[in-house]
Amino acid sequence: MSQAANGKHAGPEFETLVAWWLGELPAAEAEGIEEHLFACAHCTRRLEVLAALGLGIRAAVSGGMLHAMISKGFLETMRAQGLRVREYQVEPGGRVECTIKAEDDAVVSRVRAPLAGVKRLDALWRIEAGGRVEELRLEDVPFDPAAGEVFSLPMAATHLRKMPAHTATMRLVAVEEKGERELGEYVFAHTPG
Amino acid sequence: MHREGLGLEDAELARRIAAAGERIDAEAESQLYRRLAPRVRLYGLRHLRDPHAAHDLVQQVLLTTLERLRAGKVREPERIASYVLGMCRMTVLEIRRGAWRRETLLETYGDTPEAVEAPEPLALDAEKLAGCLEALAERERSVVMLTFFSDKPADAVGAELGLAAGNVRVIRHRALGKLRECMGVGEP
Repeated sequence: MSQAANGKHAGPEFETLVAWWLGELPAAEAEGIEEHLFACAHCTRRLEVLAALGLGIRAAVSGGMLHAMISKGFLETMRAQGLRVREYQVEPGGRVECTIKAEDDAVVSRVRAPLAGVKRLDALWRIEAGGRVEELRLEDVPFDPAAGEVFSLPMAATHLRKMPAHTATMRLVAVEEKGERELGEYVFAHTPG
Repeated sequence: MHREGLGLEDAELARRIAAAGERIDAEAESQLYRRLAPRVRLYGLRHLRDPHAAHDLVQQVLLTTLERLRAGKVREPERIASYVLGMCRMTVLEIRRGAWRRETLLETYGDTPEAVEAPEPLALDAEKLAGCLEALAERERSVVMLTFFSDKPADAVGAELGLAAGNVRVIRHRALGKLRECMGVGEP
């Protein structure tokens, strides 16, 4: 139970509302939450915030405003929801000529890597454009060790479409107790669409 | 479980509408509609996963409720919130069975006056939210993206990211807390 700032409200924890929203609760508990929601202004407001965040996150993904390492299932959901996704595949030591066209909503790179036994994976980016170099380290990116690949989703709308021709190099490294072990280097040679 | 102040006001408005009958207490109807609409919309979003379908649910359920209140067909106006929840459950079942038609709603209530317009739902600044999402740790961002873009529970998200469901819930809880704080929409 949660306590509101005014000290009067004792309703479900926010995490319980999230669980209800995502269909994680047993039917009887979910029905109890619904009955409470229909009689509680405080929880209605909390749920409105959650709904707005959910819709906002969906809009940010659809609008190409985010970068992330995604899963194969996420890529399939993007397509199922009508997004037009340009896809590239690259092996360790490989190079891919890539672009984003006006008709594309997103670009996803399937990056092959030997992930078996890897506990923590970092992605190190080096982007060279117009004589400038930017380096970025994405720490502890999520991955499925059994998949043998990770899926990189760059920011299409706010980044990729505005970039001139450039080269981006990504190194995947396994972070282990003894230090770091490189799993592969991948070169993305981007030209504007 | 304490319930914060909706029931009494809802009940009073429902009683006024029922007492007015065909003379129509427009102010009470408008107030009750505006109070109940967010709850019905959220229920619709949760069960139908579609903002347009949730909007239709609001109209269908609340316009029917007002009609029945006027006609004296709601036995316990003081329990109007429970009555509306029951209507929501029944209508969502009809929608899922394909037994509900939007055209019927338009034919029945097409000329509904603006007096029963629903309040605008909370909308967040998209660019600010994108910035807040970018500020999350990689794992946190992936978890909330998978959760809310795909409407997936923790076990399904965990299966795709090689994480235990409990771990996903912890990451999700932490990420949502950061997002609410970043957006200035924390616990009221």
